Amino acid sequence: MLRVTDLTKTFGGLKALGGVSLHIPEKRVLGLLGMNGSGKTTLLNCINGLYEPSSGDIQLQGTSLLGLPTHKIAARGVGRTFQVPKLFPRMTLLENLAAPFTTGDASDAEVYERSAEWLNRVELYRLRHNYAEELSGGQQKLVELARMMVAQPKLVLLDEPFAGVNPSLALLIIRLIEAMPERDGCSVLLVSHDLTSVYQLSHNIVVLHEGRVLAEGGAAEIRSNPDVIEAYLGA
Amino acid sequence: MASSLGGVAAPAEGRSGDARVGRIRISLWIVVALGVVLPLLAAPALTENLSFSFYLMLWIILCTSFNLVAGFTGYMPFGYVAFYGVGAYATGVLHKTYGLPMPGALVCAALAGAAVSLLLAPTLRLKGVYFGIVSLALAVIFRLVVSMLPEDITGGSMGLILARANDPQTTYYVTVAVLAACLAAAGWLAFSRTGVALRAVRDDADAAAIVGIDVTRTRLKAWVLAATFPAVVGGLEAWYTNAIDPEASFNILVTAKVIVYSMAGGLGTLLGPVLGAGALYGIDHLIWQKFPVLNLMFLGIIIMVMILVFPRGLVGSFAQRFPLLRRYIP
Amino acid sequence: MTADLLLQGLINGLILGLIYSLIGLSLNIIFGVLRVVNFAHGEFIILGAYAAYFLQRLLGLSPFLAMPVIFVMFALIGWALYFVLVKRLARSDDPETASLLVMFGLSITLGALMLFFFEADARSLDYMLEPPFLMFGNIVIPTTRLVALAITLVITGITAWFLYRTFPGKALRAVIMNRSAVATVGIDVEKLSAMTFGIGLGFAGVTGVLLAMIFPAFSPFAGADYTLIGFIIIVLGGLGHPIGALVGGLLFGVTEQVTVVLADNSVALLVGFALMIAVIFFRPSGLFGRQQLR
Ligand SMILES: Nc1ncnc2c1ncn2[C@@H]1O[C@H](COP(=O)(O)OP(=O)(O)OP(=O)(O)O)[C@@H](O)[C@H]1O
Ligand SMILES: [Mg+2]
Repeated sequence: MLRVTDLTKTFGGLKALGGVSLHIPEKRVLGLLGMNGSGKTTLLNCINGLYEPSSGDIQLQGTSLLGLPTHKIAARGVGRTFQVPKLFPRMTLLENLAAPFTTGDASDAEVYERSAEWLNRVELYRLRHNYAEELSGGQQKLVELARMMVAQPKLVLLDEPFAGVNPSLALLIIRLIEAMPERDGCSVLLVSHDLTSVYQLSHNIVVLHEGRVLAEGGAAEIRSNPDVIEAYLGA
Repeated sequence: MASSLGGVAAPAEGRSGDARVGRIRISLWIVVALGVVLPLLAAPALTENLSFSFYLMLWIILCTSFNLVAGFTGYMPFGYVAFYGVGAYATGVLHKTYGLPMPGALVCAALAGAAVSLLLAPTLRLKGVYFGIVSLALAVIFRLVVSMLPEDITGGSMGLILARANDPQTTYYVTVAVLAACLAAAGWLAFSRTGVALRAVRDDADAAAIVGIDVTRTRLKAWVLAATFPAVVGGLEAWYTNAIDPEASFNILVTAKVIVYSMAGGLGTLLGPVLGAGALYGIDHLIWQKFPVLNLMFLGIIIMVMILVFPRGLVGSFAQRFPLLRRYIP
Repeated sequence: MTADLLLQGLINGLILGLIYSLIGLSLNIIFGVLRVVNFAHGEFIILGAYAAYFLQRLLGLSPFLAMPVIFVMFALIGWALYFVLVKRLARSDDPETASLLVMFGLSITLGALMLFFFEADARSLDYMLEPPFLMFGNIVIPTTRLVALAITLVITGITAWFLYRTFPGKALRAVIMNRSAVATVGIDVEKLSAMTFGIGLGFAGVTGVLLAMIFPAFSPFAGADYTLIGFIIIVLGGLGHPIGALVGGLLFGVTEQVTVVLADNSVALLVGFALMIAVIFFRPSGLFGRQQLR
């Protein structure tokens, strides 16, 4: 589904990504671990075109995404959530979820059905007429997730979906992510500091360290990899 | 498909209720638009003094189209008057210097407004205060350039007198038509998917791009539409008063009033600018007649009070106060 | 002959540019610390000129002595205005744009008040320097400009010393660089902000006196022009950047004066604007700015 090859990104003198390669097969979850500042968000920003990579290639289903503007990348089926949710604060939840349909040709009824379905799945349907700015931080994460999923993406990039979310909401989010590959048919790139959830959800895990891939493998491998233990998990 | 995924479909009564909300909102706007246009259409039959209603219409058009960029896109064009001035000059020069009949001149004014907005489109890359400052500077540039053009074309710093064109009745009815078109266009934009896209871009451009909205194109649509109407208005005013000059046509006070009126009503809603223009132009008109200088001072004070105390305007404050009614406000 | 004229324009440009840069400096200190674009700056400059005029008329104070008085007066006004207007801005949806609007309102109000009280006629300060002109070869420089230049240099020096050598000055620069961090370090941002607005307006007042000395006539209408010049300068140098204002001012001054030699006054303003717009598109953060466009 997604293949990133030797991607680098520099900001002035700072090398945020120093040659990252990774691959996400169809309907698979790839966990992305790494310390603060290791380049995880930067990688996501490069994939969906918010940043222009300095070198390397990003391919979605065999075609390169390089040089495409963000909205075209979105149109190819790449969805995204942010570390700090980026909703449309002065629009209602229904309008927030309708925003992805402003370009397509879905009928109004269809848009409503799909939005309502997703608001139900994140258990916020009753707040559908509220402005997004009136929600709590955790609820905003859920709406952002719903806004991403309502467009039926092929690949989703989740930036710390559990950050600042209480345990019961986190459980809901875990269940939603769990369902993504099979039920919603999409591949997932999951960035999180919550090791337990990443181990539980991912088919494969990549650990970034200072902009490079430090380790890659299944949960068991990563858990026992001495480099990872030293660099990331601490003593 | 969607509803077959057990237990997650919208409850039926929620669905039909929400569809009704949308219909009510659109109907309300139609009622408001008719409520504005019809009395103004009837005004010439009822009163001799058309000037007040004429200018009322001008301000409603200006504020409504200003709202398309300031309220729906989130830019604050301090040089908004540039479009008005360009329209006035396009009309005046084409009519007087080149003898084009008035209707043709007005159409050209609209085109000129659109052309200028395309010319200035790169400024949309700028954000926040940069955009505001540059926009202001551009309006001043336009005034300087216009007053430096050859005198036999634009009349230089003295401007032009279009005595031949004098026909206030006709001007008035054309203005009513333009007003109706403007209210319809704004309604179309607000209720269409472009309207949702616009507000999304206003609230968070990155997030809008992430969900597939072409930010640049969406902004451009609103920008061009928002520039075309003031250009026509500039032309109409030139036709009505039969005079143009650089100072009046590019007067920053036009921008100031447009900002004040529409903010007072509430940017970001369709209703706000109409209400604001109606109420404040009325007050302005009364004060203006009695105390011209103090009028300016009040204008300034109202801007400050509005922004510090009711930043969301009449309609916005109402919506905050009655959140349940908010969804019905066009 | 033209070479002489150009040299004359260049020198005039440098002198005026340095004085203009005072406008940019105070605007930038205010914007840097408070994120407020002071749309009313020009009106405060003109008010400074009027203050000098009335201090001279009523108390017989010479413009030179009036400057410190006006600085203190305007600083106090600024301090008070901070609490009345600026502080509340933080609560709005988009504080920067809201600041632009509020200050726009203030500028209209002040302009109208001046028009009301002082009427539209141009006034001028009443003073003479001997000799009125100094000649350097073919270059003629009015003595007042040299004096104003000297005063500007002193003020700039004091400001630099204040910003880089004193504690409140350093705190002020720290706020410009990172507002949220400073609050946690225990600097009273509120007090600092009020002080900044005070200093900014104090500067505006003094700049008004200086400008009234070199351009003899002033009227309530000139405020908007000075605001625009200030905007050009800070955009040239970079929003919120004190040193940038200096360079921006010089650049604008020289451009303006050299264009005056080659063409005329209104063209000069045009060229200034063109310069600003070019800078905005090619170096959006200004010649010296490092910050992003938000
Ligand atoms: N727009 C930018 N300009 C300059 N430097 C940047 C920018 N974005 C990221 N960086 C730098 O790139 C490096 C990687 O940042 P990134 O946000 O990708 O880290 P991260 O892995 O997401 O960290 P965290 O876990 O804290 O979210 C950091 O050193 C950061 O300072
Ligand atoms: Mg991150």
